[in-house]
Amino acid sequence: MTIILQQGINGVVLGSLYVLVALGLTLIYGVLVQINFAHADIVTLGAFSAYFFMHGVGGGYLASIGVSLIVGGALGWLMNTAIFAPLQGKGSELLPLIATIGVSVTMENAMLAWFGPIPYAFDSPYSNEVFRFGGTFITAQNALIVAVSAVTIGLLYAFMKFTFLGKALRAVAQDRETAGLMGINPNQLVMLTFVIASALAGMAGAMLGPVLVLTPFAGTSVIVKAFAIVIIGGFGNFEGAILAGLLVGLIESFTTQYLGPGMIDIVVFALLLMMLAIRPTGLIAEKREENV
Amino acid sequence: MSMRLGDYRLAAGAVAAVLLVAATAPTRAQDKIIKIGALLPMSGPGSYFGAQDKQGIELALDEVNKTGVGGYKLEVKYEDSSCSPLPATQAAKRMLEQYKPDVVIGEECSDATLAIMPLMEQAKVPFLNAGSSAIRITEPGNPWTFRIMPNEVMQGVDIATNAYTRLNARTAVLLYENTNAGIGNAKVFNDTFTKLGGKILADIGFGRDINDFTSIATRVAGVGKIDVIPTYTLEGQGLKITQALAQAGVTKGGGGQAIQLGTIWLPFGFEQKAGKTALGYIRIVQFDPTDQRALVRHFVDAFKAKYGQDPTHLHAHAYDQIALIADTVKRGAKDAQSIRDAFAATKSFTGVTGSVAFDKTNQNAEMDTVHYMETLPDLSWKTLKWN
Repeated sequence: MTIILQQGINGVVLGSLYVLVALGLTLIYGVLVQINFAHADIVTLGAFSAYFFMHGVGGGYLASIGVSLIVGGALGWLMNTAIFAPLQGKGSELLPLIATIGVSVTMENAMLAWFGPIPYAFDSPYSNEVFRFGGTFITAQNALIVAVSAVTIGLLYAFMKFTFLGKALRAVAQDRETAGLMGINPNQLVMLTFVIASALAGMAGAMLGPVLVLTPFAGTSVIVKAFAIVIIGGFGNFEGAILAGLLVGLIESFTTQYLGPGMIDIVVFALLLMMLAIRPTGLIAEKREENV
Repeated sequence: MSMRLGDYRLAAGAVAAVLLVAATAPTRAQDKIIKIGALLPMSGPGSYFGAQDKQGIELALDEVNKTGVGGYKLEVKYEDSSCSPLPATQAAKRMLEQYKPDVVIGEECSDATLAIMPLMEQAKVPFLNAGSSAIRITEPGNPWTFRIMPNEVMQGVDIATNAYTRLNARTAVLLYENTNAGIGNAKVFNDTFTKLGGKILADIGFGRDINDFTSIATRVAGVGKIDVIPTYTLEGQGLKITQALAQAGVTKGGGGQAIQLGTIWLPFGFEQKAGKTALGYIRIVQFDPTDQRALVRHFVDAFKAKYGQDPTHLHAHAYDQIALIADTVKRGAKDAQSIRDAFAATKSFTGVTGSVAFDKTNQNAEMDTVHYMETLPDLSWKTLKWN
């Protein structure tokens, strides 16, 4: 029973990590109908920003999360301004998609050149603090990840549902042209989407840094799962991504316990294929217009 | 018209002569160069191998090329083989076609090394490996592939025997990445340990894409009293496993009883990154920095002078690869075939990692390249002198 409870805790922690990464992906898809392959590299850069803020500047870990959020947001602004906005309306939907691959490869190699290939030991002050109760345990870092994920989800949900900008974003996601006729500037909202999604990715990097193996390829190792989560949850579906993230986290934990870690990808991606075959709209079936 | 044709012929002849001279001139210049191709992982999760290997190689080149050896200078061209079969094969083909090396060194990862070997055999270029452990690299033996590093059987039998006899371990959990080297090393430990009377409580393989090891540590914590945990991974995952096992209270670093056992896959500095969770970790390294032999002291001093840091065993085994090639040239080797023959005849080479004497399968039969280290509470090392 203790083991089941412990693996449940492990699954929720892992799921929360995946949700943090998947939220930005699903937000961009919901508004832009665009897949951002550079998302993983923003996560990685967020992790390195937090690391160097702590070890280079001497800042605290909690403050480093804010720094990564800002770095991610700034990068999102830069990417949209320099690359994606100019490509909008150039005729092919493939252009921005290919551009994201280009940005990803460039960032990965730039980080390899700057930070080197050797894994960094990114320990937050909470990494080695372990809470034990009733035979189970959770590190303070993992507890923080769950808390930050929950707060982020809550804030993002409130922003989308109750603020003018959130409503405007949903309007653009539903019908960009009509939203434009209503006085909403779609281009500004596309920019806002990029900034929010990238800021979330940067923050996810700061949270993941102490958990992941921090190298220039750190984000790449979680992005495949994040894509799977976005598909299982339903492309662009906010609630679906949260549910799918937690589900994948739990599946991973219990697969490790009862089938072995070598079976994780088989189980997760079998679920993905099953979802595509049986329920291609995702766990929470909605029309795309109602997403985000 | 005929005169003009004759002029053309004359001009064509002159151009051909110039081209011939131009084409042969570099060849003459290269006559005194031994071309070494280095296939190293410079990207991906194993890229720390390549970065450190390169430093060891460059130091050795500086030293050898100061005076040259037997009238030859050594030249190295690097290609990124990425610790993975497909990029390693592509890099090897590029290297063979474009650079035409006399000898090739590398890879670190067994899967990549196994992929490169047939290409080297086909091209008849000797291939010197110092970092891969899979038994299939030298069993049944490939005439063009030579390995300095002890293979997985030599390492696995030795570490399992030491665990049973010196640590009195009777139970073990195996943790390993699902690669040729990971599976092979774990199997040898399993076979040897079980034969001696030990019991394997869990046999857990995982992919290189696993990031969070808390679930694995939870499973390990639930299998009962564990004496040793042989772990076969690259550095990044190794760090996370060590931390997760300590957090789960399994290993000495987390207040438990189990001792983690590791291999030469991990670089120096691992303990400092893992922190107190690495307490009691015993692992094999291919180079003992406390070794007092003059050769080793010179290497350590020269490395510090060039790079301002202490050398690791990866630096050391890369340095030894170049030193061994220089040794074959000193013994009269000058091209691929003669370097291969000189490798095969090597019976008493002494490097900074230990001795080299190739057996009939081209495996180094000497065990003094295996050094055991234990991590102490202050995260420094104690040499165990088990070999």
